[in-house]
Amino acid sequence: MAPETPAGEQLIRSESLYQAIIDAAPDAMIGVDRAGTIVMANRQTTTLFGYEPSDLVGEHLELLVPERFRGVHPEHRADYFREPKPRPMGVGLELGGRRADGSEFPAEISLSSIQTEHGPIALAAIRDISDRRQVEAELRRARQNADRAAVELRRANEELESFSYAVAHDLRAPLRAIDGFSQALVDDLGDDIGQGARGDVARVRRNVQMMSEMIDGLLGLSRLTRSSIEQTDVDLSAMVEESIATLQAAEPHRQVDVRIEPDLVASADLRLVRVLIDNLVANAWKFTAPSDPAMITFSARLERSTRVYSIEDNGVGFDDRYAEKLFAPFQRLHRMEDFPGSGIGLATAARVVRRHGGTIEAHSEVGRGATFSFTFGSTS
Amino acid sequence: MNDGAIVIVEDNPDDLELTLRALRHHHLSNQVVIARDGAEALEIVLGEEAQAPALILLDLKLPKLSGHEVLQALRRETRTALIPVVILTSSIEDEDVVMAYESGANSYVRKPVVFSDLIAAVQQLGLYWLLLNEPPRQSGSR
Repeated sequence: MAPETPAGEQLIRSESLYQAIIDAAPDAMIGVDRAGTIVMANRQTTTLFGYEPSDLVGEHLELLVPERFRGVHPEHRADYFREPKPRPMGVGLELGGRRADGSEFPAEISLSSIQTEHGPIALAAIRDISDRRQVEAELRRARQNADRAAVELRRANEELESFSYAVAHDLRAPLRAIDGFSQALVDDLGDDIGQGARGDVARVRRNVQMMSEMIDGLLGLSRLTRSSIEQTDVDLSAMVEESIATLQAAEPHRQVDVRIEPDLVASADLRLVRVLIDNLVANAWKFTAPSDPAMITFSARLERSTRVYSIEDNGVGFDDRYAEKLFAPFQRLHRMEDFPGSGIGLATAARVVRRHGGTIEAHSEVGRGATFSFTFGSTS
Repeated sequence: MNDGAIVIVEDNPDDLELTLRALRHHHLSNQVVIARDGAEALEIVLGEEAQAPALILLDLKLPKLSGHEVLQALRRETRTALIPVVILTSSIEDEDVVMAYESGANSYVRKPVVFSDLIAAVQQLGLYWLLLNEPPRQSGSR
């Protein structure tokens, strides 16, 4: 049985206990009676408001309320005393406190009440949320900046695409004139044209042809970027076979040992993948021209649950240090007279792969052939 | 052999000259009428005294009225609704191709850059549309 303690001492003890508890709270705490008079305050009011607790007790609460909120505050307080349940104050409203020096801070305030012999007291726990507000504002600004950057990037890309399309498109007309009238010149001069001049015109026309192929490549590239992806099951093995057949028909004298792993099916866009396969196979075909016997292999392997497809050849290969450059438009690793081309095929292939969320890479050693490996993303 | 006129609608003088050269190359005997913009094309083909041409070679990018608009206007008129129209243009935008066929184009040919290809294209077009193809009886013409 606990020893008897005088009621007065008990009250003092519980009051100092009570004071100790509210002083330990991280928030500033204010107790207010029905009339709005401050009846208690904790230590944190000093740091938050710049008032000592002893300065506050006996003052009217309005002292701590920014002027612009003062008009409505008594009404809200009366409402609270009618139904004094613990709750945050003014949910969704902007709240603030007024410091001793007259400055304001944004606040978060939660309310509760206690019954005393003098009547109910409303307790407000007040927290300065300037830091949080600032972080929120910075976050919002950062988000807005990121959004704006994304929009600008998209717009810049679209502009670049439409620009390259327009350029490529409009370049064809003057090119057509150059080629046509070069030929017209030869026709008009007839036998009067000398051998030298005839050769010069042939050079002009060869360059026109090349530029025309480059323009078509650019057009194709820009079209790849603009079209949408429709995934279906695509038989890559069959596609490689068709590609080879087309190339073989164009150069029937070539003997190439082709090995295709059968039934390799991927979920991808049929039209785009045809462009991809055509470019990679044509590349292997072209660079194996000097090889005897020439060999082209198409196969797949599983690497960390991702299907990796490879087209391998035993052609002239390239210096592995420049492997990354291969996939940039108009980037060539061989001299034009050795291996002609628009320099846009592999850039096109890379774009198809990237549009599917996949990756492409090339490996080679000079004289030992090249391997082009690609994926359609990590789930295929 | 369909010996009606060939109407070429083309605003680029160089392209026009090259197309004419390609036609001469094949010694086509058909009269060639030239329109330099869309409005002129309609005057020539839809005019009061106009005889229905055997074939219209129509560019798409044209001053005043575009090739698409010319084609739509021709198809609205009974007496020109059936004249073979071949679109001969630089564009291979899907939009243009689909729109041209929807408006009633009979063929869509992209102008080749290389002149020998242009000659081959014009030869095939002439061969097909003036020789092989059987046009409808010109009940609409006067």
